[in-house]
Amino acid sequence: MSNHEGQKPVRKEMSRRQFLSYTLGGTTAFMAGGVALPMIRFAVDPLLQKKEESAFIKVTEEAKITNDPVEYKFKIHQVDGWYESEAELVAWISKDANGNIFALSPVCKHLGCTIGWNTENSDQYVCPCHGAHYTRDGKNLSVAPNPLDEYEVKLDGGFIYLGPIKPNTRV
Amino acid sequence: MAHGHKSDEKIVYVGDSRIRKRTNKNSVPPDYTAFPGKSEVFIPNFLLKEWLVGCVVLVGFLVLTISEAPPLGYPADPTNTAFIPMPDWYFLFLYQYLKYPYASGDYVVLGSVFVPGIAFGALLLAPFLDTGKERRFYRRPVTSALMILSLISLVYLTKVSWDHYQHELEITNTVPEHIEREEKAREAAEKGESFSAVKKEEPVALVDANDPAMDIAKAAKCITCHSPDLNGNPKAKVPSLHGIGDVYSKEELVNIVTNGNGGMPSFKDTLSAAEIDQLTTWLAKQKKAQ
Amino acid sequence: MFKAVYNWIDERLDVAPLWRDVADHEVPEHVNPAHHFSAFVYCFGGLTFFITVIQILSGMFLTMYFVPDINNAYASVDYLQHKVAFGGIVRGMHHWGASLVIVMMFLHTLRVFFTGSYKAPREMNWVVGMLIFFVMLGLGFTGYLLPWDNKAYYATKVGMQIAESVPYIGVYLKELMQGGTIVGAQTLTRFFAIHVFFLPGALLALLAGHFFMIRKQGISGPL
Repeated sequence: MSNHEGQKPVRKEMSRRQFLSYTLGGTTAFMAGGVALPMIRFAVDPLLQKKEESAFIKVTEEAKITNDPVEYKFKIHQVDGWYESEAELVAWISKDANGNIFALSPVCKHLGCTIGWNTENSDQYVCPCHGAHYTRDGKNLSVAPNPLDEYEVKLDGGFIYLGPIKPNTRV
Repeated sequence: MAHGHKSDEKIVYVGDSRIRKRTNKNSVPPDYTAFPGKSEVFIPNFLLKEWLVGCVVLVGFLVLTISEAPPLGYPADPTNTAFIPMPDWYFLFLYQYLKYPYASGDYVVLGSVFVPGIAFGALLLAPFLDTGKERRFYRRPVTSALMILSLISLVYLTKVSWDHYQHELEITNTVPEHIEREEKAREAAEKGESFSAVKKEEPVALVDANDPAMDIAKAAKCITCHSPDLNGNPKAKVPSLHGIGDVYSKEELVNIVTNGNGGMPSFKDTLSAAEIDQLTTWLAKQKKAQ
Repeated sequence: MFKAVYNWIDERLDVAPLWRDVADHEVPEHVNPAHHFSAFVYCFGGLTFFITVIQILSGMFLTMYFVPDINNAYASVDYLQHKVAFGGIVRGMHHWGASLVIVMMFLHTLRVFFTGSYKAPREMNWVVGMLIFFVMLGLGFTGYLLPWDNKAYYATKVGMQIAESVPYIGVYLKELMQGGTIVGAQTLTRFFAIHVFFLPGALLALLAGHFFMIRKQGISGPL
């Protein structure tokens, strides 16, 4: 390379070869773009799909909720591309001192393991992976950077309905 | 090497003495002086011309893909007897050819192996069959004639096959599936409905969800195991009560509720006979919508 | 910046001769459509390659959504074509491109045939070219089954019947291709593997040989 060209020539006008090179570059870009753009749009489509808000699902009776958190499972209809299924979700539901019912998501805010209640008899949520601890309200005590997420709760006719996940509002 | 020997280089390349340098006169590409006229370098001069042709083809191709949706019929159904199978167009000549008497029946081996084998074998080995120095096609009458004959038969067979297919569609009054599917999808879109040819298992809805029997189900703690929406819990092997009427008759249901079944306890003491009757009557009605 | 990186690599690997050989080789006048319009027939080889590149790219993107399973194949194709943005176009590129490759390759073969370009010393390149042709037909045949609609299913059954009519080995050949005694789940995965891994691998190797030989031997002279 360096042997062939030597010193950079002083730029005067565009040489024929340069012109052809630029035109070739432009044509290449056109062809590559024409082929690749539809495919790239096709590939990034999941990012641009409208996310559907999950509906409220009936989970359990209001009367059953105590001050101690209890694990409840409920199913949501999940549409994953061409695959539709009834996915099972878990919520830890309890009442606070004022009798307000709240439901916590069991996904640890550290690295996404599943937490359990009172597994160390400390009245805390404990994550088995890296030992994250949370209070009854989901407040992060150690390891995890954020408090546990909450489900939106709706009460209707003596039943508890759970909706989309939102950041913790209690701490 | 291209850079010549530099005294400060750590590694000095020397020629590999195991390989003899050959002067292969025959296989060296002829340089452009061998062809009189205006030759030009590949990049950028020639490639630009080639790619301008490429751009025209690309634009035409994109117009085709935008205007013509790729065909998609209905999901494969081995029991479908009305379907007229058709291979892709470039296999049609073979498809048609195998229908002829000397290519089918007792002669199927001749048709499916020997004739195509000889034809494709000859094509593959053409340079060793046509070994003359002459390159112009009109000076090679035998080779050219064979090729032209093959081309004519290819076109002819393809056309006959296609016409036959069209004729079959006409007499059986069939619309090709991909066209029918597209038509239905368009009609559905006009009505604002969604369309899919995929068969789906519809979740079975509760029949008469507000029936008073539902209150019995609540009171008797059925929903503790069978979940509040009575959809069961597959992981704990608790069956869904949706569509339970398709599985058990009323008598069987009475028996199960009264005496228990597998993991399910007996409700003899919790519910009165009348309540069990009311509950099972309702459960027996839980059938899949027709 | 780019220049510095290039120089750094070139100093170590001496890459200049590699691409210089491709870039600077002279292309004679008789294949240049700018000089003789009729020389456009020499473009078909390049166009075949261009469409092949489109096929490989669109195929790679299609496998992001496609599932080679008889329960889901049709649903996933239906989804990617009708629910994903530009799905119809990307699948269209792959579907129509398959036909276009065959057309272009056919025209390229005819050009080589009628200009007698397959004659010595280029016999081997013709043989490799014909093998590419067969690989392409194989790709067409195996790709046809993948959407798992009626057309795919019955066309494949017919193809299997033809394979079965081969004397002695036909039955085994058919079962080997089907991966069982029926056209079903195992046929689909098998055809998928052949369509996506085996044949493209063979195709790339053959293409490399094809291009190497044409670079080594040069294009055939004017008639």
